[in-house]
Amino acid sequence: MQVSYKLLYGLLGKKFHTINYEADMAAPKRLLIVDDNEDILSTFYEFFNSLGYEVKTAVDGFAALKILRDKPDFFDCLITDLVMPNISGVGLISIVKKEFPDLRIIAMTGYGDQPGALASEAQADLVLFKPIDLFKIEEKVSELLGQ
Amino acid sequence: MSTPLIGVSKSMLKIKELINHVANTCLNVLITGETGVGKEVVAQSLYRESSRANKNFVKINCAALPETLLESELYGYEKGAFTGAHKKRPGKFLTADKGVLFLDEIGDMPLALQSKMLHVLQSGEFSPLGSDEDFKTDVWVIAATNHNLEESMRNKTFREDLFYRLNIIKIDIPPLRERSEDIPALIEYYYRMYKTEYPNNNGTKPDSQTMTRLCAYPWPGNVRQLQNCIKKQMVLNSWDKIFEELPRDSTHDTLHVTQAQAPSSSLNQFHSEVNNDRLKIISEFVDLSTSSEKLFEDISLKKIKKLASDKVEKEVITFVLEKVGWNRSRASKILKISYKTLLYKMSEFDVSPPVK
Repeated sequence: MQVSYKLLYGLLGKKFHTINYEADMAAPKRLLIVDDNEDILSTFYEFFNSLGYEVKTAVDGFAALKILRDKPDFFDCLITDLVMPNISGVGLISIVKKEFPDLRIIAMTGYGDQPGALASEAQADLVLFKPIDLFKIEEKVSELLGQ
Repeated sequence: MSTPLIGVSKSMLKIKELINHVANTCLNVLITGETGVGKEVVAQSLYRESSRANKNFVKINCAALPETLLESELYGYEKGAFTGAHKKRPGKFLTADKGVLFLDEIGDMPLALQSKMLHVLQSGEFSPLGSDEDFKTDVWVIAATNHNLEESMRNKTFREDLFYRLNIIKIDIPPLRERSEDIPALIEYYYRMYKTEYPNNNGTKPDSQTMTRLCAYPWPGNVRQLQNCIKKQMVLNSWDKIFEELPRDSTHDTLHVTQAQAPSSSLNQFHSEVNNDRLKIISEFVDLSTSSEKLFEDISLKKIKKLASDKVEKEVITFVLEKVGWNRSRASKILKISYKTLLYKMSEFDVSPPVK
């Protein structure tokens, strides 16, 4: 019985992690992921969700800012694209640094050096250049959140 | 004295909300939109809602002045800096200190001045012409343009680094023809304004039939053109005359508008009758009423692909959900997507079960 249980969770893979976290009784870490590309957003959502993170998503900096102001202190880490309409990632990072200084920030960009440099200037904790390996990002998130 | 931001359309409400959320951040703003849509009005609104409202709002039009004059207007000069500089003159960066510097028509700024501008934005320092001294400046820069700066960057007429530094917050104001719901409110506003200004004029407001015509007109000159019409009406008091004087292309449906407005031959070939079906499909995703230049900008296959697939996906998802009595886990299996993806798509497309 015990064996088949383990086997089942092993097979499901995803579930395995979820259960692990619950077993640890640690509250899941909360991520806010911002990107104007829906495919990227849902891939990130699926990936981090399956690893036991609690994930919310936003399609641009403005939507993200509204979520953050609505739930201050809720999120642990912000992962944001940089070139987006309304409020850009750089704008979002600048505002977040002022209003939510405890939130860790990872910026990602596929637009060459300029936006990345601005994100560093706005004091993102980390700037990554696309394409990015999801497992690598998870590693960085984990590091930033001191897990 | 400055004009309020008028509009009830979804896009204008969103802009108002955005202004409200960012006015106190003092992050650089780039306002884009066609001529006459109200870019300066948006800049003024940002300024009024910010903590800088009691400081200066300084405007400079980068297209109106020759390069050297623009430079001395922006940065000021010392006495004797050049022939004719009889006395010291402060630049806009100094007068706008602690306030707002509104750079109108930034897309027309000469390249040499763009690099100088970039330097000031990076360092917060500038020096007047003929001066060795560096001044610290604390200005909130709001820039506006009717150019497509992405294209200008490709053509190397606009610096990429300056673009990204200005484009921290981007407010794109759609043309009036894409938000005709705003027209009645704008008419009301300008009518009252001119009535107060010229109380003796007896121009009448539009009746409902005229209003319909006004709302159907595509307003190539946007709000400014509409405003001028109202002003004219106060003097002429004849809507028929006003309509006669409007550029004749277009009071009816968008397809005719395109035909009349598109002089380019490549566009004309679209318009044979054989192509009507094709046009109908395209017009679902692209606004064909815009000028040919703008139209070609809009026909991005990637963008259209997304719009088209979203449209179909939404219908399919709703269809399946209805079939399975809104059982989302069953629906996700049928659609062969994960449950999470389905939930995500439902919220994105605003699909929700009927309220009982």
